[in-house]
Amino acid sequence: MSRNSRRRAAGAVALAAATAIALAGCGGGADRGGGLTEEGFIQKLEYGGFGGGDNPQVNYNPFLVPTRLAAWEYLYEPLMETNDYTCEATPWLATDFSWNEDGTQLTYEMREGPTWTDGEALDGEDVKFTFELLRDNEALDVDGVWRYLDSVEAPDPGTVVFTFTGPGASAFTLVNNVRIVPEHIWKDVEDPVTFTNEEPVSSGPMTVKSFTPQALVIERNPDFWGAEDVKVQEIQFNKSDAGQVEQLKLSRGDYDANAMFVPNIEEVYVDKDPENNHYWFASGSPISLFMNLEQAPFDDVAFRKAIALGIDRERIVEEAQYGYVEPASQTGLVLPGMEEWLPEGLEGDASYIAYDADAAAEALDAAGYGTDGSGKRLDKTGQPMEFSFKVPGGYNDWIQAAQVMQDDFEALGITIDLQTPTPETVESDRSLGEYEMTFGVRGGTCNMFRNFQEPLASDQTAPTGEKAATNEIRWRDDRTDQLVEELRVAVGEEDQRAAVGELSQIMMDEVPYVPIWYGANWFQYSTKQATGWPNEDDPYAKYADSLLVLTHLQPTGSEG
Amino acid sequence: MAYFLRKLAFFVLTLWAAVTLNFLIPRLQPGDPAEAILRRLGGDQGPSTVDPAQLEAIRTMLGISGENIVVQYGQYIASIFRGEFGVSYTYFPYSVTDVIGDAMLWTLVLVGVTTIFSFIVGTLLGTWAAYRRGTRVDGVLTLGSTFLGTLPYFWIALLLIYVFAFQLQWFPEGGGYSSTVPGLGGEFLVDAFQHAVLPAVSLLITGPIGWILAMRNNMVQSLGEDFSRLAVARGLSERRIAISYGARIAILPSVTGFALALGGLFGGTVLVEQVFNYPGLGRLLVEAVGNRDYPLLQALFLMTTTGILLANLLADVAYGILDPRVRREVSA
Repeated sequence: MSRNSRRRAAGAVALAAATAIALAGCGGGADRGGGLTEEGFIQKLEYGGFGGGDNPQVNYNPFLVPTRLAAWEYLYEPLMETNDYTCEATPWLATDFSWNEDGTQLTYEMREGPTWTDGEALDGEDVKFTFELLRDNEALDVDGVWRYLDSVEAPDPGTVVFTFTGPGASAFTLVNNVRIVPEHIWKDVEDPVTFTNEEPVSSGPMTVKSFTPQALVIERNPDFWGAEDVKVQEIQFNKSDAGQVEQLKLSRGDYDANAMFVPNIEEVYVDKDPENNHYWFASGSPISLFMNLEQAPFDDVAFRKAIALGIDRERIVEEAQYGYVEPASQTGLVLPGMEEWLPEGLEGDASYIAYDADAAAEALDAAGYGTDGSGKRLDKTGQPMEFSFKVPGGYNDWIQAAQVMQDDFEALGITIDLQTPTPETVESDRSLGEYEMTFGVRGGTCNMFRNFQEPLASDQTAPTGEKAATNEIRWRDDRTDQLVEELRVAVGEEDQRAAVGELSQIMMDEVPYVPIWYGANWFQYSTKQATGWPNEDDPYAKYADSLLVLTHLQPTGSEG
Repeated sequence: MAYFLRKLAFFVLTLWAAVTLNFLIPRLQPGDPAEAILRRLGGDQGPSTVDPAQLEAIRTMLGISGENIVVQYGQYIASIFRGEFGVSYTYFPYSVTDVIGDAMLWTLVLVGVTTIFSFIVGTLLGTWAAYRRGTRVDGVLTLGSTFLGTLPYFWIALLLIYVFAFQLQWFPEGGGYSSTVPGLGGEFLVDAFQHAVLPAVSLLITGPIGWILAMRNNMVQSLGEDFSRLAVARGLSERRIAISYGARIAILPSVTGFALALGGLFGGTVLVEQVFNYPGLGRLLVEAVGNRDYPLLQALFLMTTTGILLANLLADVAYGILDPRVRREVSA
């Protein structure tokens, strides 16, 4: 750049800057409140984004999944709040529940005392109304709870009875996920599917204080039934900036909590304030290697088992995932959170497949897949093995993982042709079965029935070329179907455990697909203002379990 | 007259073609809006599994019609004539018109003003460089523009953010305004102005470059033409030749370019709005693409194509009026 134009540019910038500063004093920068209120509550916590897209519009309808703003989680309450880490249910609007003998009826005892923000009492009638609202407006029933329900009754204000079309244990988490809305307000709503609920009458621990498309502020609801556990006066959600700017803000300490992917988090975040800055990336649904089971050699269990041995999960985690996540257990369960579901014999490391290239090569030899003179692995017709591996373009960490796997397969003499079409194409090819190898994400939720039914049940699949509902690997197995059915009709957790145990064993023995690593739940938090965040040592919730997290927070220094 | 009619007919035909492509292209891509929305929602917390029941509910919610494509096309054309663009998938249940209305002002003010400013400054500088061609002024301007032009826009923008927003903290890092409620109050306007400074500066650094180079090169060329030499022979002043013979001819292509730039304002703002998190139409466009938000996408594309085609038409008409040679060549 010439000296002249540089001076000109600098001059223009300085002039503009001076104008702005003259107009408004000091602009920009973080204006952090900090400190405690007179009552001893944390004045204000700063959180990350609040949903609703780039140009958020007011919407506190908890059922409009695509566009509701983050405040919905603090406004409306469920019957039981699930800890998504251990999958345990914590009493919330209901204090207790019980099943009838054959598991078709679920009775909740309602908590006494909850009121709506307009003073009306919250009771069983509201629960009945809410569920019937979902029944009458299919679009609002985003979890499909009415696939299982027959009726909901409130024989008295303190009791709600759910009757299922069959044994209902598999739908327990779905019922618990539904947030209860006030009958006396919502019964007059003309079309609940387009209702944006701009002035919400709610029951939860926080109420909306202010909203702009840049920031959403919620404040403590003093009339909340559990208000004594809420030590936070205000939470401000801030619309996220573009990726790198957001990272700079995180490292500058603008947030008390956020959920974002950050490369090199130790350096970018923790090292800036090692005493206060922490992170916990709890494991989520596993990302797995899917092989199209309708094609040879993937239909051969011996081949699949050998492949599972030949994948270096530790290296994938280190090189493709920044070491942020854990290698996945072959059972498909998310461990250690769900370790109570493991059957005998699979505890500890037993359900993880350790990398052993030599054993993998031997297993391939033994299964009849020998090598030619140049070390190329041959299939049973004598052709060199070469498979396509489809990974969504732009998913860079997945592509890196696939490249590591490409090396692993190369070591076994198998050539992988890595393809990266658009995510939409991969999605469509996966459900149509038009792939040889690809990545898939199934299971790992707190609904054990879904975890196994979706990837493995025969009624969820279709022949290659037709769209499979969820069983994209095209696994068909009578014993699996029987166990999935047992899981569906299981009465209580004991029966569920038995079926989950056997299904885990099938995952180990038959290797229908190969879980590689656990997807991470991003979560950064600062203990400068608040303590009590969930973490590895105290996994009472995942960050997304907002109600549990909020009621655990304490002002820093107060707990001594 | 035939020239203008022909241009008008061309306008109508291309508009129809654009509208039709606009309808077809997103629908020919693989991918499903409901899945795209669920994928985006899972984004923050890592990939999540997609439940078919959830997909179905969201399809019902958004009213994604299972009609065949011909019927959809009919509905689409009819709705354009009614001026209805439907409900946005991304901002459900708000209408596309509402969402675009909110974003439009931001883009118009920021990018509109800087585009006009860039054009004026760039053209003047280009004229100056050509007038002083071969001197140091010319060299500095030409080399300087070429060098600045090779720097990626987002790099300059990020540099500005880093220095002026993070290090010096003079300006906010991004966004169109802070927590204050949008309105016409003084406090809000000052706040919005502060947020507009960095994006505007970034646009003003890179904006005039194209105009400078185009104007300079066109003008140097027209100064070499026979009519300019004749003017020199007639003994007219150098300045008069530069303005009346050089600049007047050289500015014509720039006028077309400027009309197109204004017409394409909405589509061309993606980068600046992405980097500065500016709440305008460019970000809306990126979001609509990511979410397969057909109603929003179509309305935005329609605005852009209509804008560009209309600008083209106006430029053609202006050309025909300003330069009689064009009219004659075409109708001859």
